[in-house]
Amino acid sequence: MEEKELIAGLRAKDRKTVDYLYENYSRALFTVISRIITDQEIAEEVFHDAFIKITKKVDSYDESKGRLYTWMANICRNAAIDRTRSKEFSQDSKTNTIDDYVYGLEGTEGTVAFTDGIGVKELMDHLNLEQRFVIECMYFKGYTHSEISEEFDIPLGTVKSRIRAALVVLKKKLDKI
Amino acid sequence: MDIQSYIASGKLELFVLGELSEREEAEVLEMAARYPEIREELNQIEDAFFQLDNQTGKAPSAGLKSKVMATWEREVLGAAEQAETKIIPMQPWKTYFVAASIAAVFASAVAVYFASQYFSLDQRFMALLDEKAVLVEDLNQYKVNYEQTETQLDVLLTGNFTKIPMKGEPFEIQKEAKVDVWWDQSAAKVFVSVNQLASLSEDLDYQLWAIGDAGPIGIGLVNPGQAYSLQQMESVLAAGAFAITIEPKGGSESPTLEKLVVIGNVG
Repeated sequence: MEEKELIAGLRAKDRKTVDYLYENYSRALFTVISRIITDQEIAEEVFHDAFIKITKKVDSYDESKGRLYTWMANICRNAAIDRTRSKEFSQDSKTNTIDDYVYGLEGTEGTVAFTDGIGVKELMDHLNLEQRFVIECMYFKGYTHSEISEEFDIPLGTVKSRIRAALVVLKKKLDKI
Repeated sequence: MDIQSYIASGKLELFVLGELSEREEAEVLEMAARYPEIREELNQIEDAFFQLDNQTGKAPSAGLKSKVMATWEREVLGAAEQAETKIIPMQPWKTYFVAASIAAVFASAVAVYFASQYFSLDQRFMALLDEKAVLVEDLNQYKVNYEQTETQLDVLLTGNFTKIPMKGEPFEIQKEAKVDVWWDQSAAKVFVSVNQLASLSEDLDYQLWAIGDAGPIGIGLVNPGQAYSLQQMESVLAAGAFAITIEPKGGSESPTLEKLVVIGNVG
């Protein structure tokens, strides 16, 4: 299904399109959330709400700003971050160190699931420690780049260039798969 | 503008991650519109993030889809259908139609109310008319009675009447019977007034007889039901006694003496 078609179908509240959206994007979107929220049950709850929010707010999606997926992923990421910052979400993951992330990556919970022969850990192995740190901060813990800069005392420009560099590497790896 | 260094700055990645301020976002969009290389780079970054997300994580559990679809049906589709039915705009003529309908219903109700009021009044009026007719009839009857009584009183007062009481005591038929004869000998007028007289069967009548030198003469039939009022009889100039007998209907030429009920002798 072309993206245009997909957007039009969602706006028309067409059941088949919503079904298609779920079939083709639920995995990627759920991954965005489960990177930040390791508890499977809570992550699914957040995903459920975020998916409904996407179908409700699709009218406000502006095609000129970027792809539908980018818009949807940001809704999911923000929903997950909001949840980690809510009162009932007690685990304060921001105090974790880089070692905790690595440890976390080697654990058995959501984020480390190996799928289709490729895992996060394997991908991350291609990054140097600095690149890996910023990517994990942003991706797994929901930090903004300025928060990373402030909290870990890294200049903002450096954070940005590390993200850039990390993505270039990941892109290459992903293309090869 | 060095496009390559702009691309290398990492700003585009932050843009895709939604981390730029509105002002910075607008700047990136403007750059992307102006330089196809930047637009292309943005596309690649977006693709890369999707690939990363789609290939590194795991899918939500299988049961979640039906839950999500059910919520979608209820909250998004259901709400949309409700909104659709609500939004149907009312045509102006429909407004008038509604107003006219309401007015018509109201008018009909008022009409029915007044009609029922009318019919009930009409019924009461007819009842009053009937009642009035009855009263008029009664009044006429009383008038006739009054005039009759007045006439009789006049007759009694102006004439020279003698009362001849007739009694049933001497006979076996009606010992209790009492009938008075009022006789004005000079005017030859005779009246009777019943005091006590048993009613008879349909085929019999009471007949009054004036008994004189020429024997008994039938001078009229007496109605036993018309008590305490004067019943005029035929004229009699001379008589020694009056008597009543029971005779076949219509009276007889000569009295049936065995059926003598009352008798009274003149003074």
